[in-house]
Amino acid sequence: MYKRQTKLEKVLTYIALTVIMLFFLLPLLWILRTSLITKVEAYKIPPNWMASLTFDNYISIFKDNTFGQYFFNSFFIALASTVVSVLLGAMSAYWIVRCARRSDRMKLAILVTQMIPPVVMVIPLSLIVKGLGLDDSYIALIVAYLSFNLPYVIWMLFSHYESIPRELDDACAVDGCTRAQTYFKVVLPLVMPGIMSTAVYSFIVSWNEFMFALNMTGLKTRTLPVAIASLDTQQGVMIAELCAATIVAILPVIFLSIFIKKYLVQGLTFGSVK
Amino acid sequence: MKSIHKHSGDSSIRTARRKDFLLFMLPSLIALMLVLAIPLAYSLITSFFDTNLKYQGLGEFRGLQNYIEVLKDTYFTESVLTTLKFTVCVVVLEFVVGLVIALLLNNIYKARNFFFTIIIVPMMITPIAVGLIWRLLLHSDLGIVNYLLSLIGISGKAWLADSSLALGTVMFIDIWQNVPYMVLVILAGLVTLPTEPYEAAAIDGASRTQSFFRLTVPMMMPTFSVVLLLRSITALKTYDLIFVLTRGGPGTTTEVISYHIYQQAFRYLEIGKASAMSYLLLLLIVPIAFLFIRISRSRTT
Amino acid sequence: MKTNKKRALAMLLALVMLFSLALTGCGGETAQKDGEQSSTGKTTLNILMEDVPDTSCVTALLDQFEAETGIKVNVESVNYSSMHEKILTQMLSSTNSYDIIVVDCYWVGEFAAAGWMAPLDSYIEESGFDTSVYIDSMMDMVGQVDGTTYMLPFYNYMLSLVYRTDVWEEQGLEIPDNMEDYVEACKQITANTSGSMAGAVMQGLRPDPIAMEWCNYLFSCGGDFYDENGNNIINNEAGVKALELYVDNMTNSAPAGAAGFGFDEAFNVMAQGNAASYVTYNWMLPRLENTDESSVAGLCDITPMPGGVSLNAGWGWAIPHNAADKDASWKFLQWVESFDVCKARAIAGGSPTRSDVMSDAEVLEACPYLETVKTIMEDSKMIPIMEDAPQLIEVLGRELSEAVAGAKTPQEALDTLAKEMANMK
Repeated sequence: MYKRQTKLEKVLTYIALTVIMLFFLLPLLWILRTSLITKVEAYKIPPNWMASLTFDNYISIFKDNTFGQYFFNSFFIALASTVVSVLLGAMSAYWIVRCARRSDRMKLAILVTQMIPPVVMVIPLSLIVKGLGLDDSYIALIVAYLSFNLPYVIWMLFSHYESIPRELDDACAVDGCTRAQTYFKVVLPLVMPGIMSTAVYSFIVSWNEFMFALNMTGLKTRTLPVAIASLDTQQGVMIAELCAATIVAILPVIFLSIFIKKYLVQGLTFGSVK
Repeated sequence: MKSIHKHSGDSSIRTARRKDFLLFMLPSLIALMLVLAIPLAYSLITSFFDTNLKYQGLGEFRGLQNYIEVLKDTYFTESVLTTLKFTVCVVVLEFVVGLVIALLLNNIYKARNFFFTIIIVPMMITPIAVGLIWRLLLHSDLGIVNYLLSLIGISGKAWLADSSLALGTVMFIDIWQNVPYMVLVILAGLVTLPTEPYEAAAIDGASRTQSFFRLTVPMMMPTFSVVLLLRSITALKTYDLIFVLTRGGPGTTTEVISYHIYQQAFRYLEIGKASAMSYLLLLLIVPIAFLFIRISRSRTT
Repeated sequence: MKTNKKRALAMLLALVMLFSLALTGCGGETAQKDGEQSSTGKTTLNILMEDVPDTSCVTALLDQFEAETGIKVNVESVNYSSMHEKILTQMLSSTNSYDIIVVDCYWVGEFAAAGWMAPLDSYIEESGFDTSVYIDSMMDMVGQVDGTTYMLPFYNYMLSLVYRTDVWEEQGLEIPDNMEDYVEACKQITANTSGSMAGAVMQGLRPDPIAMEWCNYLFSCGGDFYDENGNNIINNEAGVKALELYVDNMTNSAPAGAAGFGFDEAFNVMAQGNAASYVTYNWMLPRLENTDESSVAGLCDITPMPGGVSLNAGWGWAIPHNAADKDASWKFLQWVESFDVCKARAIAGGSPTRSDVMSDAEVLEACPYLETVKTIMEDSKMIPIMEDAPQLIEVLGRELSEAVAGAKTPQEALDTLAKEMANMK
């Protein structure tokens, strides 16, 4: 892709990446360690490197606290909301870029909705949800999450569509394709990497969302962030259990990396279509 | 701007256009209306009333009184400056670091997925847990960070309790969590760049730095401006992390706008004032957003 | 076509506005329904509560309640600051997902003003429940408001001085009887051990941790928020003295990061054996005996504040104004606050509010420190019950933190507080 790299450059790149990775990884390793010891060990300084390891924290969050259920709730809600936003948002972004008469104003209008902090949005929204009898239901959160996921997806994809030459669409139109045919057959495959990275992020934001989840869930639909926050109790932070729960909460990264691998690493190169 | 679809004005094209609108736009518009219209209208309306959730109804109509009171509150106006400082620092640093990592990753093939997967993990942790975990790591007396520093002869700091360090510490933790976002988006942009211009540039004998500034930067400009804009908006609204780490302290050194909004809405139940603060925040962001949109459009055309 | 679109948009906007107006109004309807007592014969009760040590004691006994009444009870516990948020939506709606809630002492004024708690007097009368068994200071705080009983005191988390008996003995020191000497002693311990043992560990995080801790300094120095005539005296000599001592202790004897500690971080310093004293919640003492969390088990004790007056605090059980079946909710309250259940909870590590439970021989055998706690509690003071108490705590926390950070002098900080308190109800 670029100019051929020298061996030295390659080695330096890997060294740099390893150092950077450690910056992110070391705190994570500490979380892992903390999840396997007791609270009194967790705060020992100098650290007791020989502390005996225990799975009690994991047992406690799964047995006493049904984190399995919370994990499923979070996963289902985040995935559903992401899928819906990507399906709707990808098409709308395309329409705004290619067809809208006042695209700037539309862009700004969508963005403006994201500037009001969720703190003020959550009260009216959860009152509506409660009024409709939808509190403690999956659908409430899935729809509520569209309020930030959908604008995000639309906005992220603008630049991806804009980077595709308009002539491509026009050529298809000349060939007799409808807008929809052009979109699904020609444009969509080209923006797949963009869609995937957008979807990954929108999944993660839904996965981490706290305020809507706090106000709209009950015991049945409680999500991981709410459950994790409730480990910060009025009898102390259950730091060891909290770390165990955090380790569980980062597991979907394995699931995400499948998508990442397909679209980022193998990198469908744009140059091949012209 | 001009596409073939627009040229001819006959009615069949117009119906086609309307059909396209129904297919492409309508579902999104309905969804957005459903979830956003009422909360936005509610907060706009209450911003003109003396609404307190303790009492029924909207309360007395106050006109612009809420806005005036908020602007007169020096704690609020100071928090605007803190918010701007926080936003500019974290967005710029996250962007630069994220760009460097994305470029490095884009240069390698082996183990790219491995590095990338590990780097995006911090993003998977809910901000409240991030805050609580960093409180453990940075505990001035019992934290691993100060212990490791003491091993190399640096005396530990009170990271979150020293008013000269607290804001910086919060920024650092925010960067730890949000650089992965920049990497994710920028890398997705980089892998879709066409290869031909680079090959041509290589033949012309351009150096790596030259092709970065002459090819990569212009081609990536739309992506750059979008991530900067979107990240700025989320950074301006940062609340969870500060709430867990410092609650605005020590003193008022880490008070940001959204902390005030939270305080008014959830602590004092003064939803009218909280809404007024939110709309003031909006007034602050809209011009910046408009500028961004203009700039990114002039670049692409 | 263009005008059509515009008209449609205008219509939509109008609709949205109407709907949102209706939304804000709907709180009104529900409140009027309060008078009628509903009895739907609910078989499941949902409780929204805080995860305090007593919570697990209550949940452990729930099977017993189900066996007695056939009513199943679900306990949902959330993080402290989240609870106030979560209750909001429930209180503003026409129905409530929760049949019973717990109310923190400084939400009481606010909840009472908003009419969110159902009055319990008629239930108490009908069932002959005796509320005189509660310690007066608990009943005044999380029981009655202006003569109406809205809550039954659930749990106390009164603060006082927890200290390391061994360290004070080693240092040849005794717990003084006034705050000035106490701060001096703390500074001396820190100096003697060149910082490896802090004389006091403190919780300087905004807003509740610092506010709650400082109130003990305030009361023990003879200060208060209001005098008997309701005049604001927070910034009088005693108040300023209390804050000067607090800042002095924070700077010269507490660990470096204490100005940012929440109660958990401070607890861990104590639990790791790095501090000699800690003004804190009385429930910390049993936790310091727990070897999974603490390495100083058996070395700590609780004692009255030097100066004698502690801050009392607690939670009360309440039934939301819009609870579906208040009779069933009351049935639970009656059970959970009965002598036998309270005694069982206390022995399991709860934090009792009933006087008869606190002086029960079996309870005292299991938790001997309760005797001290009871005497401290009888002389304690509380944060004034007022509608704007949450504001008071926020502003107090901010100003104290300003003083600790050196951005304001103690006098300036308390003057600002007094000025803002003038607007609070």
